[in-house]
Amino acid sequence: MPPATEKIRRLVLSAFRGVPGEMTVEFGNGDSIVVYGDNGTGKSTIADALEWYFTGEIELLSHEGRQHAVRYVGGESEGVTSVEVVTSGSLGGKVVLPDERSPEGFQAIRRETFLLRGRTLADFINKTKTEKWKALVDILGLDTIERLREDLQRARNDLRKKTKALDEEVKTYQRALASGSADFNVDTVVGNLQEICRMLGVDPPQSLEQVADPSWLTGAVGASARVPEGTDRDALLAKIRTLNAPAFDRRAVEGWNDFVSSAQARLLPRASLVREAKRLFDTGIAERGHCPLCGQAVDDKSLARQIERTLVDVMETSRDLERFRDPVVQQGDDLEAAHGKRRTIQHRARSVDLELPPLPDILLAALRSNVEALASIEPDTVSKAVAEIRKWDRAAATVAKKASPAKPSTRDTQLVMLAALCQQVNAWRVVERKATRARRALDLAERVFDAYQEKQKEDLAELLKRISRRVAQIYSALHPGEDLDSVSVEPWTAKGLELAIEFYGSRQRPPHGVLSESHLNSLAIALFLAMAESFNERIGFLLLDDVINSFDVEHRGRLAELLADGFADWQLIVLTHDQQFFEHLSRRAPAWRKLEFTSWSYASGPRTTHYETTGILRGARERLENGDVQGAATKARRALEELLQEVCEALWAPLPFRRGQANDKREIGELFRGVRRTLKERAKPVLDTLEPLFKNLEADVGATLNVAAHGSRGLLGVSEVQAALERITALDETWFCPKCRTRIWHRGTPEAGRCKCGQSAFPPLG
Amino acid sequence: MHRPSAEEFIQALLETLDDLPPDFIRRLEGVLKQDTTDRAQAIRELFEDAAGD
Repeated sequence: MPPATEKIRRLVLSAFRGVPGEMTVEFGNGDSIVVYGDNGTGKSTIADALEWYFTGEIELLSHEGRQHAVRYVGGESEGVTSVEVVTSGSLGGKVVLPDERSPEGFQAIRRETFLLRGRTLADFINKTKTEKWKALVDILGLDTIERLREDLQRARNDLRKKTKALDEEVKTYQRALASGSADFNVDTVVGNLQEICRMLGVDPPQSLEQVADPSWLTGAVGASARVPEGTDRDALLAKIRTLNAPAFDRRAVEGWNDFVSSAQARLLPRASLVREAKRLFDTGIAERGHCPLCGQAVDDKSLARQIERTLVDVMETSRDLERFRDPVVQQGDDLEAAHGKRRTIQHRARSVDLELPPLPDILLAALRSNVEALASIEPDTVSKAVAEIRKWDRAAATVAKKASPAKPSTRDTQLVMLAALCQQVNAWRVVERKATRARRALDLAERVFDAYQEKQKEDLAELLKRISRRVAQIYSALHPGEDLDSVSVEPWTAKGLELAIEFYGSRQRPPHGVLSESHLNSLAIALFLAMAESFNERIGFLLLDDVINSFDVEHRGRLAELLADGFADWQLIVLTHDQQFFEHLSRRAPAWRKLEFTSWSYASGPRTTHYETTGILRGARERLENGDVQGAATKARRALEELLQEVCEALWAPLPFRRGQANDKREIGELFRGVRRTLKERAKPVLDTLEPLFKNLEADVGATLNVAAHGSRGLLGVSEVQAALERITALDETWFCPKCRTRIWHRGTPEAGRCKCGQSAFPPLG
Repeated sequence: MHRPSAEEFIQALLETLDDLPPDFIRRLEGVLKQDTTDRAQAIRELFEDAAGD
């Protein structure tokens, strides 16, 4: 797969982590860079910024209580915290705190590999097999396929459970049909059924299928079946036990008595006379002016009114009569029905040899005649009748309780056995059918799931084979001839991965037991690089932050060679606090950019310096050696500009210095003025010493290193360019410690500076 | 290196199940492509339906 192409061109941090104001890191056209700096100088801020921008979080700060540190927390800074990334493609942009991007936005980028830190170097190696698997699933974007596998597995497991439960149920029925024996046999069950049928004198079934038909039992047994004696007796006993006597409605009886003793009730016997008078009067049969009943002389009109009034009263009284009479009649009816029901029970009891107590006499005739005669009823008579019935109910219940249920006959028992056996056979067959279906479904699920696993395993095996091959190559480049070979990433069961290595002829999986810490770290670096090579689709840069801590000098050199030579197509951003590694990489990859974080202060954040000059000077000399005089002159001028720019920046020269691209356009004369002024103010003797060199260099800039002027003159001497290069080198050396080879503002402040070892200083010591 | 997509994977998987009824394969494909929360249940029901009575 060709390397992913999107590279970083510029990174701008504002009020971010250890940067109070703004810091820009230029990457040219996506150049690789090695960033050097002691611990605490802020170089990892670059890694933090890129991690935050591309993943939405900084792993180190992801723990509770650390998130606030995304923003600059030292000194005063009122600026907005932001990270701006300019890339060669469309991944660039600007993120401002608070970061409101949704996690879904990072999903695709999270699958790409770009950051390896020393502190988390061996994280992948130390993960469990399942965690390694999950990490790989994440990187490979296999989450959709993995979710599908999980759903298939869940469906398969559900069917397994269901099949198992149904099989158990089938066994339970079979044990019951086999009378508790584990040896279930269909012929035995059929034989049992046939035997019972023979005892009952009915046609025996020939197979269980025949029994399964519900009509078989009815057809076979129906002709000889009769209601067993015990059934009636049991039903009767149950009925006696649940008898309920009617309630005594005293209020109804008393209401009736009040009504019949009222004056209103006395009107009722005359109701027929009044109606007859009305009829005679209305039909005109009666003589006018005389009462139609007694013949006395009366006024017709008065008589008519009298008849009407009396009729109204009679009708109202009749309605009241119904209101008071109905509940009393109902009471009588209830008592009569209760008495009748008990009489029937007593009769049935005799037929099943059950002796119940004699029924009490109830004077219902007297009650009814009193109602007819509109006479009052003695309440105690009714309540006594109800009490008598209740008393009988209790006595009968006692008899019923003592009475034992009827013993079924042998035939009854056989019928029950046959019915129960048929019922069990049918239930067993229903469950057996369900179990068979579940087994078929499970078989299908197993086949599909196995095919899925197999396919996933094949695909993964191919992927792992390719990754393993590359991991092994990279690992061998870091550890040639160490008899540690055949590094591979291998599947472990269905959902696990493990690293393996051949160790003097034995396979070690995992390799922790035989590899040293530095070897394990090499393995982690090899995995990181191989994964990026294999799966990065867009991200074309790789960031390694202090990854060589456990490496000795030899292995640091090998890693530098591997990065410089083996990953030349990638943009590598290598952060290190190790000077040897920095210099090794600088020598091996002269085209890489170099940036040094020299110090960090609470108020102003990190200070940086570029190591452009040395590399450009080397390039100029190489061109001169190859006969490219004009190219050498161009490079030399560029080297002088870089050097003066570095000096101005380091000494905080009083010129409106700007970082970033605008800085590249600064006039060289402006830079000379800045250096002179600073030296004059703070180290006048140094300026006096350097002034002749400055003048010569200014002359070089105007003539030898003026490429435009060459074009008009047509000639440029090798010796002139050579001399100019030596003068630039001499000025460059002025700011280098001859012992530790670091800039003498390495631990500098605007007022004074020292090299890393402390032997050289500016202003010069003593 | 090519990252296998779920669609491609399902297609290749179904091709390995060529001894199953085409209707079942078609229905299985439909269920597998639904990335829903109750997909496991739908898959189980499909297997049970296919098992018949």
